Amino acid sequence: MADTTGSLLVRKRSRWWNAEARLAYILLAPAVIVLVAFMFYPIIYVFLMSFFDTSKLGQLRAFVGFKNYRGLFATSDFWVITIRSIAWTAIGVVSKTLFGLIIALLLNVEYKGRKFSRLLFIIPWASAVPISAMLWEWVYNPEFGLLSHTLKMVGLWKHPPIWLGEPISAFFACMWVDIWIGIPFMALVFLAGMQSIPAERYESAYIDGVNSWQKFFYITLPGISELLMIATLLSSLWTFNDFNVIYILTKGGPGGSTDILITSVYKNGFEWLKFNTASVMAVVTFIILAIVSIVYARIYFRRESS
Amino acid sequence: MMKLKKLVLLAILLALLPGVIFAGGQKEKKPKVTFYWALYDGLTEDYRASLQDAFMKANPDIQLDIVPVPWKNMHDKITTSLAGGNPPEISVIGTRWLLELMSMNAVDEVTKYVSKATIDNIAPGAMEAKIKGKLMGLPIAAGARIMAVNMNLTSDIPMTMEQLRQDAIKVNNPSKGIYGLIMPGKKHTELTDFVYYFYAAGGDFFAKNPDGTYGKCTVNSPAGVKALSFMNQLANVDKVVQTGYLSMNRMESHPVFYAGKAAYVFIGAWVESAMKQAKSNFKVKYAQIPPFQGHKSTPLIVTDSIAFFKDAKNLKAAGKFIDFFYQDKWKAKFDELVGFPPVTISASKLPQFQTPLYKALGEAALHAKGWPLMAGWAQYSDIIWDAVQKVFLGKMTPKAALDEAAAKIDKARGL
Repeated sequence: MADTTGSLLVRKRSRWWNAEARLAYILLAPAVIVLVAFMFYPIIYVFLMSFFDTSKLGQLRAFVGFKNYRGLFATSDFWVITIRSIAWTAIGVVSKTLFGLIIALLLNVEYKGRKFSRLLFIIPWASAVPISAMLWEWVYNPEFGLLSHTLKMVGLWKHPPIWLGEPISAFFACMWVDIWIGIPFMALVFLAGMQSIPAERYESAYIDGVNSWQKFFYITLPGISELLMIATLLSSLWTFNDFNVIYILTKGGPGGSTDILITSVYKNGFEWLKFNTASVMAVVTFIILAIVSIVYARIYFRRESS
Repeated sequence: MMKLKKLVLLAILLALLPGVIFAGGQKEKKPKVTFYWALYDGLTEDYRASLQDAFMKANPDIQLDIVPVPWKNMHDKITTSLAGGNPPEISVIGTRWLLELMSMNAVDEVTKYVSKATIDNIAPGAMEAKIKGKLMGLPIAAGARIMAVNMNLTSDIPMTMEQLRQDAIKVNNPSKGIYGLIMPGKKHTELTDFVYYFYAAGGDFFAKNPDGTYGKCTVNSPAGVKALSFMNQLANVDKVVQTGYLSMNRMESHPVFYAGKAAYVFIGAWVESAMKQAKSNFKVKYAQIPPFQGHKSTPLIVTDSIAFFKDAKNLKAAGKFIDFFYQDKWKAKFDELVGFPPVTISASKLPQFQTPLYKALGEAALHAKGWPLMAGWAQYSDIIWDAVQKVFLGKMTPKAALDEAAAKIDKARGL
């Protein structure tokens, strides 16, 4: 008996510390060090800052418990910004998913110039986000911008709004830029999924007299459902934290109408040096996104096991 | 497996080798001075590069790095460098940031590093950065704001705000792309143009306590409401401002004036330099920003300073650079390019600073008022900007918006 237990321990230990494992640890060490230093440490520090009074340089001074949280939750601005962030994410992700699906379906069809089309669709995603945002800032310019000029010229809209100057148009103008940048990723992921669906299924469906809509709902969608879940989860995380587009186009204005949690974190932390408030907002962001990720993961793994 | 392990260890050693070789060399490096260089309108890259080269030629034992930084990024850049423990030796700052930097214990007294000759050559009136008798920032630019008038569009020089409104209405012709007045409607670093109208109405941002400290916020005083109501009237009732003003900050709206499309603009000393670069081809006249009837002209004066950061390594070398830079040969050229009146006594006597623009700036400086010098001003100015935009957008009345702003500011200050 003792021999069996002893050999079990030796087997376990050797699994964790055999020659191959040691090599793996050595090779992983640099990446782990970088992750701990540049990700885990800052995350833990932000959590700490949310429970401490901090100096204007973010140094911890005195433990204050939940005082920072109570102070922030008592302001109506915080709840408005949070709800706006959720709306921003919901609209953005749904739009990107729909547009991505449509474009993937179109790119999945065989036609002349398909490769060139695929190349063109990648451009928004391949360009640096700040450059795209600055480009759209010019497109939205009320005097010289392409959008207003075109709308007036074709007679569609004689007096278009000041796109980035009015609250509702500014929100949707920023939203569109975020969608425009995010569509290619969704389209490519869905396209990859569609191309891995065996062609025989479509052939059998054709023989059975199934129409296009039925093919889409009963073959295509189920075939890409896992990718759809992963892509929408990633898109949710990225959209919720889309700082660049809003900051470059409107800096959260006009009158705070495009401020979301991430831009507010930046303003509080780096413009006003209020690290307490910024860290609480960052923690709230983390919690929201963690909940979303956990819900997704549960649905995903439940489907896998069933 | 052993061979693979040896290969991996060899790769790690090779990667570490350069660090070992060059580590010894670091001790012999020259002291390096980093200077965050704010990109004023009119300031050219040629000037920056030639200043840097000339100093290093005259001081071969010092490495100088003049880092150009757009104004809108300067505050962020300074605070992140401080938080990272790697501040520059010196940086141009808005003097209004000084109290915030002092509260962080980030800056040092200028007199420790800059020669007495340089400091004695600074005009006493420019020494806004003297806090409790200590000079915490060396003035680099001090400019009052004035009104520029496009003489091709109008010959009227209004003496009051009420008259300005009438004159702007007379000139205004949006169908021909001609506007009465420039009004930035998008938030930017400064609280302009609100402060021009606010000071013109006799307003003050904060009450003053008997001990000289700032009391409650008074932006919602009758002067504030009058100023904001007037701005809203110009923009949304009379519609004499440039189209799309809500999406234009100061940097984006002033070019409309340089293009000859607006009659009046409230602007600073950079106007001539900026118009030259924009190749403006109209006659311009300079006048004082008019007050509201019954008040006296109180333009804004803005000073920028050079701060020395305590935790930087080569402050003495930085002081040497400042002494070099503040010679007339370089400082006068800087002043010419950015258009600010010289802060040095010797440069102010030079013939190029006796033009109508400098005369107008000089006159404005006599009655001008600066920003409130307080930590946290960046946030309070942001709150007031939000109030201004809410009124422009028709979401709130001026009184309600400014009451809300004043309450928020007092709450943020713990009052």
